[in-house]
Amino acid sequence: MSILDLLGLYALVGMACAIAVFRRAPRRGFGAVLSSLVTVPLWPLWAPFALGPAGAQEQNTRSRPENDAIVARVDKALSDAVAAVADTSMSEVFTPRTAARIAAEVKHVATRLADLTSLAERSGFDRAVSARRLAELEGSGATERAIATARLQHESLERLAQLRAADARALEELADLLEALRTQLVLARYAGSSADGAPAIVSEIWARLEGLGAALDPGASSSP
Amino acid sequence: MMIDFAFLNRILRAPASVAAQCRSDQNVASMARTSLLALLVASTAFGAAVGSMRGGRQIAFAAMKLPIGVLGTLALAAPAFYVLAAVFGRPWPLRPVISLMLSAGARFALVLLALTPPLWLTIDFAAPYPLIKLVATVAYGLAGLAGLEVLVRGLGDGPGKKMTIALFVGVFLMIGGQNAWVLRPYLGTPGAREVELFTREREGGLVVQLLQSAHDLSRGRLPEAEDPPAPPTVP
Repeated sequence: MSILDLLGLYALVGMACAIAVFRRAPRRGFGAVLSSLVTVPLWPLWAPFALGPAGAQEQNTRSRPENDAIVARVDKALSDAVAAVADTSMSEVFTPRTAARIAAEVKHVATRLADLTSLAERSGFDRAVSARRLAELEGSGATERAIATARLQHESLERLAQLRAADARALEELADLLEALRTQLVLARYAGSSADGAPAIVSEIWARLEGLGAALDPGASSSP
Repeated sequence: MMIDFAFLNRILRAPASVAAQCRSDQNVASMARTSLLALLVASTAFGAAVGSMRGGRQIAFAAMKLPIGVLGTLALAAPAFYVLAAVFGRPWPLRPVISLMLSAGARFALVLLALTPPLWLTIDFAAPYPLIKLVATVAYGLAGLAGLEVLVRGLGDGPGKKMTIALFVGVFLMIGGQNAWVLRPYLGTPGAREVELFTREREGGLVVQLLQSAHDLSRGRLPEAEDPPAPPTVP
């Protein structure tokens, strides 16, 4: 078997993979064509990703810069808080395990928020487009049924946007609260006093996390 | 987004965390896409710099052939890495293994891209042909070592790690060397009148040539001067 035969066989497998990649693509656009074309010469490198479960491997690390900033703030506040209570009587109030659970909950909420934001950026979820469509239908004298459907779509998108904005604010406030907790614990450590307000802040944090979790993903949030 | 810049930053500054992400099979598709693009861009730029020694069409030829050589070597060596890892105690799924290899490729590409300007400057300063060959080889070797670190970290601790790496590097050098040999010339022969896409001589493969050279040397004969192959591709 010559090198040309081997290259022919390689290209044949590549083309078969390319067809499979194109057929498996969630959307038949430019991206799908490009992915298929890349598959022909590079099928051993690209096919495992292009033919993998759609979106499954992206599941756990969906993120957005604005959410990443909040998560980073929370992580910093939590690690500072844990360091502040280490080897003190306050270590019972705020354990590393509690910090880890809060961090996990915050990440979960941030991920869901990133999903909502990404969803809003996709075509079909544009509020301006739905508003225009509603106005067009109302102006052109369309049937009541068509107008009602367009209004329902627009109102749903409005509610989605409001929910997203409210949750983003809540996450921001949660980060503020954790920073306040961190500062109080640091103060207690260096002032040599007990942080009387710390348990109340921890309870408040859990209440807010539960509230956020219940709003975004019923049943997902858990208390300490 | 087509290019994951955060991944490129992490692969340079925190290869261990990227290796861990590859093993956990999280968000690997964007890493793979970015790695392939980085390899394409870096090897094209490096190829163009190598070809600039001769200039003219050789720049385009080398810029076109180097990505083929690099990506072709990775594609042909990927199954070997998967099998070797499995045989020596790491029976991981295919995708984490390939993403680990592509991440190593991305690190290799970034280092190669960073070393392209020094190579181009060496050529631009009218350095002699052997020095240019040496600089190109050193640049390639350094980039390969940078990429190899990702593979070493990615395999984690445990028995069979050294054997996996040693055998894979051997396989990779063989495939890379043969690819580079088939696709030569890159620098172009000094003094030659024509610029060729591929060399016209039929000399067999790289191994045959290495054996022939060793045979000639053992008999005290020096091999005839000719355009050398590009340095072998290292992960």
